[in-house]
Parts: sequence; structure tokens; C-alpha cells
Amino acid sequence: MASIRHSAGALLGRAHRRHYLQAYLFISPVIVLFTLFRIWPSLQTLYFSFFKVELLKGRLTYVGLQNFIDLAQDEIFRRAIANTLIYALTIVPLSAFLAMILAVLFSEHFHLRELFKAVYFAPMVTSTVAAAVVWWWLYNPQFGLFNSVLRVLHLPEQPWLLSSRMALPSVIIFSIWKTLGYNMVIYIAALQAIPAMFYEAATIDGAGPFQRFVRITLPLLAPTTTFILIYNTIFAFQVFDQVLVLTGGGPAFSTNVVVLELYTQAFQRYRFGYASAEAMVLFLFILGVTVLQYFYSRRFEVAY
Amino acid sequence: MSRSRTSVLLVAVLSLAIGLPGVSAQAQPTLTLWYPAGEITQTTLPLRDPTLFAPFEATAKVKVEMVALDYDTMQQKIFAAAAARNVPDILFIDTSWMPGFLKEELLEQVDPAKAKRWLAAVTPEIVELSDYGKGTMWGYPQMGIDVYGLTWNKQHFKEAGLDPERPPRTWDELREYCRKLVRRDATGKIVRVGYAIRHVGHPHGVVHKHLWAIWGAGADLIDDPNALRGGRVKFNNEGGRAALQLVLDMLNVDKCTSLDFPDPRAAFLKGIASMQISETVSIRARQPKEAPDMPWPTGWGMALPPARKAGDRPATLLGAWLFSVPRGAKNRDLAWRAVEWVNSEINDYNFARKYGLTPRYKSNWQKEPFKSDAYAQALLKMAPYGRRLPINLGLNGIMDALGGAIQKAWHGEATVQQALAEAERLANKAIADAAK
Repeated sequence: MASIRHSAGALLGRAHRRHYLQAYLFISPVIVLFTLFRIWPSLQTLYFSFFKVELLKGRLTYVGLQNFIDLAQDEIFRRAIANTLIYALTIVPLSAFLAMILAVLFSEHFHLRELFKAVYFAPMVTSTVAAAVVWWWLYNPQFGLFNSVLRVLHLPEQPWLLSSRMALPSVIIFSIWKTLGYNMVIYIAALQAIPAMFYEAATIDGAGPFQRFVRITLPLLAPTTTFILIYNTIFAFQVFDQVLVLTGGGPAFSTNVVVLELYTQAFQRYRFGYASAEAMVLFLFILGVTVLQYFYSRRFEVAY
Repeated sequence: MSRSRTSVLLVAVLSLAIGLPGVSAQAQPTLTLWYPAGEITQTTLPLRDPTLFAPFEATAKVKVEMVALDYDTMQQKIFAAAAARNVPDILFIDTSWMPGFLKEELLEQVDPAKAKRWLAAVTPEIVELSDYGKGTMWGYPQMGIDVYGLTWNKQHFKEAGLDPERPPRTWDELREYCRKLVRRDATGKIVRVGYAIRHVGHPHGVVHKHLWAIWGAGADLIDDPNALRGGRVKFNNEGGRAALQLVLDMLNVDKCTSLDFPDPRAAFLKGIASMQISETVSIRARQPKEAPDMPWPTGWGMALPPARKAGDRPATLLGAWLFSVPRGAKNRDLAWRAVEWVNSEINDYNFARKYGLTPRYKSNWQKEPFKSDAYAQALLKMAPYGRRLPINLGLNGIMDALGGAIQKAWHGEATVQQALAEAERLANKAIADAAK
């Protein structure tokens, strides 16, 4: 009896192993590519961060933690971290909040609803660089559309990208416009997954639209909100192309963000070790914030 | 038997297949030349012209393939290509990239004997652009003098009661002219600036367009422009402060310029700026298309930037692109031959004449059409006052810091003293970091 059970178990185990082997075989091309183009460069970056790298001379000089010590004393890098934090902490909640409001509005049926949806989603499929060039013109203090509108409304014109105070908010406005469509579509999909019976039951119990939103929609959207917050945070910390096109990090470093600073150090000053250290700091930042966000957001999730 | 014959045949076919391309490649190698596309090199030798190297190709039995790259990413592409051991044979590079390239030992040095001959044969401003200390050359500067100068709209001058043939020569005159030239609408809003300033965009550009005042006031970017490593900045002093204050006074006291006018060249060509200081060749190249009703020399004038006071020597920036050969070029000797051919005395004359540029050899300036060309002669008069950027490895950091300081001061976000003190600290740190 025991031997029968043993051989059956062995058979099952073999089948199980074969099953897994096949599965791994199927995903192996992706694993190989991912290792080659993601994991290996990341490990190399970590390695380089402890060296002075002279790429063309093929020379690596071990400096230990010196790159990180220099980073801690680097005013411009600290400013870039602060700018990136301000950017992320502004754009992520604002974009998520506005997207949720729009998604709720779009869940109602009205004339030209699909057209409006397409209009809001269009920035998402537009190249960031191309869109940023257009916005650079919109922000032009003299000929730009924004100041023309302000002029018509008899409101004070703004220097937008030309001022250290206004440049980062201007980049943030652009980024919200760019990310809103994607977040909205995710929320619309999540709203459609909420069973109608919850709302029907709440209506019978006398709940108004606001109560239904707060008591049903908001809690049931929590997993989606978690996803959107984490996803947007990761990308917000990696902001680069719109800053490069709109301001180049200026005026006076007021929009200099971590990835732009990293790019400058690596490809304009050829300090690859230092830039690698910056990349590691950014990685740890994103990892920390993501983990925090994940555990904190889960507290608000509910299941009916 | 038949099998062995087949084997022999197969080996022969394979040998031919492998060998033929090699034979043809040996017969006519290809030299690759990278240059930046677009407006940025519009005023230099037109490398976009596919016939440019035709005579050289015929005699040297070589094909010169010219590849246009995007300026903004070209520096990175050169570096990436060098790192991948696949660098092109010839590079046409911006001199502001030189420090980084020299740090990484990316460029070949021009043969000292040839460098000596070149420096003896060319005009002083070309010597300034070529000589990186004790006769060391890393490439041959472009033909076509790229000197920063004051350009002014002669019609505006007439309207304001100013002599259209007499530009401002001192800082005081610049302010006085600026006040007379500014125009406002009924609400008091400036619709035309007397003098347009570059105060936004890449900080390097901001510095480039104000170096005339910084240098003219006796300040400097760094104490030794030919030192690759080390040194200290020299702009946080009375001269540097005066240079920044000049524009601040025009903004806040004279109210004849504005921060709402982003690009001085564009503003000048649109007719909403009466004066500006930048690359004169750029105005010359763009004016026919962008401002056809303002032709040279009746519509606009060109002169050296004003000196700080009467009797002072004016100063200005000399820009340049270099023909250089990178280390690791696959066809190094041929590449040098091609570069030397382009930069030979006869081709300097032929190309300058053909493409409407200024020559570099002293002997060619004695020939027509350059001898009596008013525009070329005007450039030649300005050029001796020109200086090139320093070579220091920390140059990028210096420019970033100073450009940021200029922006802060002019935007009223810091006093001139605060802005320059901070810039000095950041720039000196950049110099020290780069030297590590």
C-alpha cells in the first residue's frame, strides 16, 4: 500500500516537474532578455557605483563609498532630490484624484461621452517629447495661448517656464495633463467591475449620490487607487524627458530632477561611477516609497 | 573523387565569398564623418553637400560618408560609439565638448609639426581657436568666423533719432540707446525691447550671450583657460557683479528690456528687439528668410559688444567647430589626410568662396572676394577681440553654476552678490570634482 502510494506520489511529482519545466521553457526567452537588458545592467550599475569609471580608457578605480559620500555633500543633487519629491508628491495624488472624478463623470451616459474620453486619453498616446515641444510654445509668455487667455480674462500674465518659481509647477501641470487619461481609463475599468446591486441596495436604504460614492465607490476602488499611486510614483520619480524639453533643468536648477542630474553627470561630465551612485540612490528611494505606499494603501482596501 | 571535388569547389566558393568583400573593402575604404545637422552648423562648411569630398575621394580612392546627427545627443553618441570601439573616422565637434573628450582621451592630437605650420599661416582668431596651450592642437577650426557681436535694427535707430551707423560703444551708451529704443503699448506693456537678453533655456547659452560683459569687466570663467585640471573661478568679483548688474539696471531702472522675450535672436529678427548680442553668423544666415525686409547692411548693423567704459578693450566670445580625428578611428591615417585636405590653403580659399564663408589663412584674406567683402571684413575686424571657452574639465559645472546665477539674479530670486557667491562655490566644487 505504502509502495503504491509512493510510486503514485513519484509519478505525480514527475508530472508536476515536467509541467513546471515546460512552463519555464516557455517563459525562458523573456527571462533571458530581462536578465540581459534589465538585471545585468542594474547589477553593473550597483558595481560601478563603488568605482571611478573611465569608460574609454577601460579603467576602474575602486573608491568604496566615496561616490555616496560626495553625493550627500552635493548641493545640486540634493536640490534635484527635493525637486523630484515635490514633483512626485504633487502629480501623483492630483492626477489620481482628477482621474477618479473624471471616471465617475464618464460612468454616466451623456452626449459625446466617447469623444471626450478619447480627448482625455489622447495625451497618453502622444510622444512626451512632441507634446512637450507644443507645450513649450503654449507657455511662451509673449505668444503662448495660456497668457493670451489670461490677457482676455484680465488676469496677470505668468512667466511660466521663465521663472524659477513657476517652472516646476508648469512642468507639473504638463505632466498631470499627460497622465490623466491613463489613470482615468484604469478607473473607468474598475468602476465597471463594481456590481450594480451594491448601488441598488444603497439606494433602497436611502443613500444619496455622495454617500454612495464615499461608502461604496471609494472603498471598492481602493485596490485600483493603490495600483495607480504606486505606478505613478515609480514613473514620477523617473521624470526626465518633459523636463529636458521644457526647461533643461533650469532656470537656476529649479526644475533639475534626479534622472536629468544623473544624465548630466554620466553623459556630459563622464562621471559614470558617480552617476551610478545617483541611480542607486534613486532606486532605493523608489523602492522605499513603493513599499511604504503598498502597505499603507492596503489598510484602506475592503472586500464585500 | 566526386566528393573531394565537391569539397574543393565548396572551399573555393566559400573563400571567394569571404574574401571578395574584403578585397573590395581594401580597394575603396569608407571614411565616416559625423557632424551636427540643422541650423547649428548652417554657417560652417556645408557637410551636407555630398560632393564636398569628391576630389579627395577620387585621388585617395576612398569614400567619405557624411552622417548628420542631432546636436543635442551627438556628444553622447560619440561617447557611446567610442566606448563600443566603433567610433567614426572624423568628427566635427563643438569646442564646448572638448574638456570631456580630452578627459577621456578621446581625441588624437594634431601632429606638432603640422600644427606649427598651421598656427603660423592662419589669422590670430584662428590661432586663438586652434592653440590649446604651447601649440597643442586637437583639430582644425571651421572656416567662417563665429564671433559674438552686437546687432542692431537700423530702422529702429532712425525712428528713435539715433545714428543708424553708430552703435553703442560703452555700457552707458548701451543703456541710453536701450531707453530710447524701447516701445510700449497703451497699457504700458513693453512690446519692443531696446536690448534683448538671453535669460532662459540651457544655462550655457545664457553664459555664452553675456560673456562679452563678464570678460569686458575684467572677470573670467577661470583663472587659467588652458589648464585641463584644477584652478578657481574668477567671476565673483567687482567685474562679475557689474556685468550682471548692467542687465538688472536695464530691467528694473531703465525698464527697456524684459524677461518676457525668450530668445534674443528670434526677437531681433521678428522686429520686437532693437539690439541683441549673440552669434552674428546666425543672424546673417537667418535674416534673409525670417526678416527679408531688414537686409544687411542697410537693415541691420553689426559691431563689437560695447566696452565697459570709453578706452576699455571690448571682449567677446569666439565659437568654433573642430575637424578632429578620434583615437580608435579605424582609418586613422586616411582620416587625417581627409581633414588636412579640407583644411589646406587652397581648399580654404575654394570652399570659403564657394559657400560664402570667411577663410582662415592670412594669405586668403588678401584675395578677392574676401579682400573687399564688407561683411567679411567687418567680421575680421571683430574677431581679434574674440576669446574661446576655457578647456577646464569642470567647464560644464562652471557654466551651469554661472548660468544659474545669472538667471537667479535677473529673475530677482537672489541678489547679484548672493547668486555669484553660490555660483562660485558650486563651480569651484565642479572643478575639484572633475579633477578627481
